[in-house]
Amino acid sequence: MGVTRRQLLWAGTGIGAAGVLAACSSGSGDSKDAAPSGAAAQQPRVGGTLKVGALGKASAITRDPHGTQANESDYLIISLLYDTLAVPGATSNTVSRLAASWKPSDDLKTWRFTLADGAKFHDGTPVTADDVVWSLQRLRNTPAGKSRLPGIQPEGITAEDAKTVVLVSDYPNADLPLLTRLTTFVLKKGTTDDALAGAPGTGPFKLDWYRDGNARLVRNDDWYGGKVLLDAVEVRLFESPQAMANALLAGQIDVASNVGAVAARTAETHKDVQILRRPNDMAMPIVMRTADGPFADPRVREALKSAVDRDAMVKQVLSGYGTVGNDILGTGDPALAKDIPQRTRDLAKAKQLLADAGFDTSKTYDLLTTEDIAGLAESATLFATQVREAGVKINVVKQDSKVFWDESWLKAPLYTTYWGTNDSVVFFASKTMLSDSGQNEAAFKEPTFDEAYRAAMGTADAAERAKLLHRLQEIEFTKSGYLLWGMADGIDLAGAAVRDLPKLPGYGRVQLEKTWLAR
Amino acid sequence: MTTPRPAGAGAPPGGPARILPGAGRAARLAARRLGLLVALLAAVFAAVELLPGDAAGATAERGESAAGVAARRAALGLDRPLAQRFWDWMTGLPAGDLGTTARGQHVTDVLAGPFPNTLLLGVLALALSTTGALALGGWAVLRPGGRVDRVIEAVATVAFALPEFVVSVALLLLLSQWTGWLPAVTLTGADGAPESWDMLVLPLLALAIPQIGWNTRIVRGALADQAGLPHVQASVLDGLPRRRILVHHMLPGAMPAVATGIATSAGMLLGGAVVVETLFNYPGVGAVLAGAIADRDTPLVAGVVMAAGTAVSLLLLLADLIRTITLGERR
Repeated sequence: MGVTRRQLLWAGTGIGAAGVLAACSSGSGDSKDAAPSGAAAQQPRVGGTLKVGALGKASAITRDPHGTQANESDYLIISLLYDTLAVPGATSNTVSRLAASWKPSDDLKTWRFTLADGAKFHDGTPVTADDVVWSLQRLRNTPAGKSRLPGIQPEGITAEDAKTVVLVSDYPNADLPLLTRLTTFVLKKGTTDDALAGAPGTGPFKLDWYRDGNARLVRNDDWYGGKVLLDAVEVRLFESPQAMANALLAGQIDVASNVGAVAARTAETHKDVQILRRPNDMAMPIVMRTADGPFADPRVREALKSAVDRDAMVKQVLSGYGTVGNDILGTGDPALAKDIPQRTRDLAKAKQLLADAGFDTSKTYDLLTTEDIAGLAESATLFATQVREAGVKINVVKQDSKVFWDESWLKAPLYTTYWGTNDSVVFFASKTMLSDSGQNEAAFKEPTFDEAYRAAMGTADAAERAKLLHRLQEIEFTKSGYLLWGMADGIDLAGAAVRDLPKLPGYGRVQLEKTWLAR
Repeated sequence: MTTPRPAGAGAPPGGPARILPGAGRAARLAARRLGLLVALLAAVFAAVELLPGDAAGATAERGESAAGVAARRAALGLDRPLAQRFWDWMTGLPAGDLGTTARGQHVTDVLAGPFPNTLLLGVLALALSTTGALALGGWAVLRPGGRVDRVIEAVATVAFALPEFVVSVALLLLLSQWTGWLPAVTLTGADGAPESWDMLVLPLLALAIPQIGWNTRIVRGALADQAGLPHVQASVLDGLPRRRILVHHMLPGAMPAVATGIATSAGMLLGGAVVVETLFNYPGVGAVLAGAIADRDTPLVAGVVMAAGTAVSLLLLLADLIRTITLGERR
């Protein structure tokens, strides 16, 4: 299967997006494909309780939809209870949810969001623009609010009438609705912090009970978004992926959400367990500092990008549960430039580039990493082994998580990082590669890149914008400090009866209103 | 020496003078344990402080600005001197206030579910390891040097030497995955307790088995010491049944040593709970502690230590009482 995927990726424009998607979902990527034979023909049916295991730490439990949700279990519960204005989509980055539609002004600075008809809180009261404005301002005023709603000042969030919310951006932003996908959970205006635990939401499920990070949610028959199939969802918090996988194998839960490659390997021998893969879930690139230091010369960066064996990385670091990357972040984006030729291993070229750049191969360079997520430190070790063949000596330094994020992230010449929260090209460009971006991991300052980004964001015409975004990605491919060797799949395990689990990457996995049970 | 009496059972102040020395001793003992607990909590505050990073940074979201982190640092009071934070936390204790976590929740709320669960598991494990050890140790000592004695000795040594996670994984494979007899993990219900009782069995066994090993050796040794005493020899010569000699003549004398062994077990059980709770997803305080340390969440770490320390102190006090009572009866 690895070979097939690689060939499809090489094939370029011809099969393009369809090829990549097919390659990613062959095997068991599609929940219907993975279901026992004959199941695909079944009609979705109403009823049943889905028991979902989700990772979390008992010490980090939170009920605040606008707080820091370190726990997937909390995020899942919150997402089932509350709605965001928009959610990630399969063919478009942003699809409607509580906001039924949106429309920009001609200068792309002012955006009007119209709320969905019939949207009600769980207590029966209708959702008004005032509720949304209050919620977005609450979100904007959190410590991370500025980076969650970049370019939008608190006073730029207003209600025009009962159904219309207006967001004003500091600069033209053609992709502003993208910002409303993640944590724009809507609460009732004036909800106090101590009332959060029982605050009514607008989501597809209502709270039955909550205790210590575990919860039972029941169907909201009155949901504006359509028919919800499951009677109830029970969320159970798990500290360890291994315990979660054991619970699934023992039939104690129906879904082990985002359980990881190791558990998938364990489950491969169990016939009645579905292994569901969500492609493009997590990026874990190697970052080379571009502003100064040993990797400032673009030829050195290209040399390392040519020295890495991407297939071996995916196979060994991700146990094969992933896809090869081409140094452009945002691989789940329909706008990804798939026609840029896939970089492959070329040691001769790498050596030549290093020689041209006068790179000092007698020195040993530190690659800083941490063990925050599975495979991250392993990726560093394997990378070091691979580039040694091109003459670059690398010493992998594993740091304590806190030390890493305080002292190495954004600063070190060479380190690993990871992103599991978003999947669009624009997201990464604006957050990590613009000259003045707050999380410019590689200290990348490239005027042509900034220019392409601003032009794209200031262009309303979709075709014209797509061209500019393509230009942006070409620059990223040739010059940026990111060596994106591959993308890890998100991996869920599910019992035989579970159907239509969400397949979208990142936070796309929390929408369970279309999921049903064939039993 | 006067007969010591259990603390609390003594007469009110001004009662018979004969009681007072014992009560005073118990009070001194309690005061010493309290002092130890305070010292332990101070050490916890200092230890978390020494770890790199702090709670504001550890619980920050990626993208949170430096100013935002600094603001939260101030809100959490982390910019104040350590001694002052410790003092503030300690002065809240008498009112039952264990402080606020780095994520803004009351420590008491965070521990309200997990701590009773750990206590339940711990007490059951202690009871199981005590009865198991008494039965096996007694059985072994019936025929010293016999086959049963040697087998029990060997098995007990191995059981104690095995780390909890090895025992856990073996139990999981054997009693859940291969046979399907027991649930693999513990799931929590609406009341914060395990959904069903059979979910307790695996974590209970995983915790108790190493301690049964440890205590069996102590029980056997203590009983063997008793076997040589004149009153035991006399009862053997009287031709009393072996079991009767064991229970009525040897066991009372062995109790002080056994009580000490069990009290030691209490501490080791709490240590093992962190591992066992993670493997079986048991909703206890071990997981909270591990996460709190990762978050540099000092009030939460101290809260767990406070709760666990109090529980262990009470057990040690109980062991002391058993010693004083049994020793008192024998004199």
